[in-house]
Amino acid sequence: MDQLDILKKNWQSQTSETPQFTSDQLTGLLAKKSTGIVKWLFIIAIIEFSLFAIVGLFSHFSDQQQESIELLGQPLYYGSLILHYVVIIFFIYLFYSNYKNISTEQPTRSLMKSILKTRRTMKWYIWYNLIYIMVLGMIMSAILIPNDPRVVHLMESPNAVGHETAFYFMFFGICFVIFLVLCVVMYLIYMLIYGILLRRLKRNYNELKRMEV
Amino acid sequence: MSKKLEQEFVKQLNENQNIVHKICRLYTNDQHAHNDLFQEVTVQLWRAYPKFRGDSKFSTWMYRVALNTAITLYRKSTRRVKTQDYESVQFKIEDQQEDDEQMEQLTLLYGAVKQLNDIEKALVFLYLEDKNYREIAETMGISEVNARVKMNRIKTKLTNIINP
Repeated sequence: MDQLDILKKNWQSQTSETPQFTSDQLTGLLAKKSTGIVKWLFIIAIIEFSLFAIVGLFSHFSDQQQESIELLGQPLYYGSLILHYVVIIFFIYLFYSNYKNISTEQPTRSLMKSILKTRRTMKWYIWYNLIYIMVLGMIMSAILIPNDPRVVHLMESPNAVGHETAFYFMFFGICFVIFLVLCVVMYLIYMLIYGILLRRLKRNYNELKRMEV
Repeated sequence: MSKKLEQEFVKQLNENQNIVHKICRLYTNDQHAHNDLFQEVTVQLWRAYPKFRGDSKFSTWMYRVALNTAITLYRKSTRRVKTQDYESVQFKIEDQQEDDEQMEQLTLLYGAVKQLNDIEKALVFLYLEDKNYREIAETMGISEVNARVKMNRIKTKLTNIINP
């Protein structure tokens, strides 16, 4: 006889020291908050949304921004700003509809799929923001560097005369590296947070996927 | 949510709480973690309860939510030391009708089941709960054929764990 079937025969009559909960205890449990990963995904998403929104607002009100508005021209500046916030609102909508789809009543595999989908939305959100910051940052530097009084002053120094182009490229390169480092750091933080949170889920999802092959 | 709904839910949960205990016992190794998981399952069940329309039996619905919580949503606390509490691993039955040798076999087998991965445990659990392959496949979201194939592999794996 199959060994598992022997266990099955005795399965229903198993006992343990685990105390059964009384109705009152069970009622008490209902008031408790979830500590599951979906709740954490939600909290992290809120932090991500607000973080980038705050970064956007800060840069909007800084002094330097007034300069860039003049240099870029109002239509281009406000156009990009409006587009940026429309995209963010779209992401919030996408996240919310994904989040609503997470239901524990689904089959295990589709539940895992919807959780991973929510995570993917946040990944794209991060990528969008990093690329946005990078592109905008590079355009700004390209426009600002030749117009910055300090840079202009430096260019007039005897050492720089004749090497203007090289200097411009050097400034541009430094800005690029700073932005790149910023992006890499943010990406690593992102990987770390989600890696810790979803490691077990991903392993189980892959296990289920392997079964289907 | 209304008091009546709450009472109704607690009554059903109370009658079926053994299912949740069995899952907790399978997925955790100490009493603290057991209670942790039990609490999370309860919270998830209660949250999903308004959507439960009674199309299926309460217990059937419960299997799905409880297993999903154990496999997918629950975060094992990594702070605790991963020692196997031998007492909780042991398999016990109500009447000791079985002879000692058989009991030893059962304990050994239960220990082997606990060594399986999360997905395998879920399949074995549903199998032990006398669910047919269609129900197992539906709960996990895989095809019936694959559930059957996987179950056979798990049986081989269990035999290998017991008789290395």
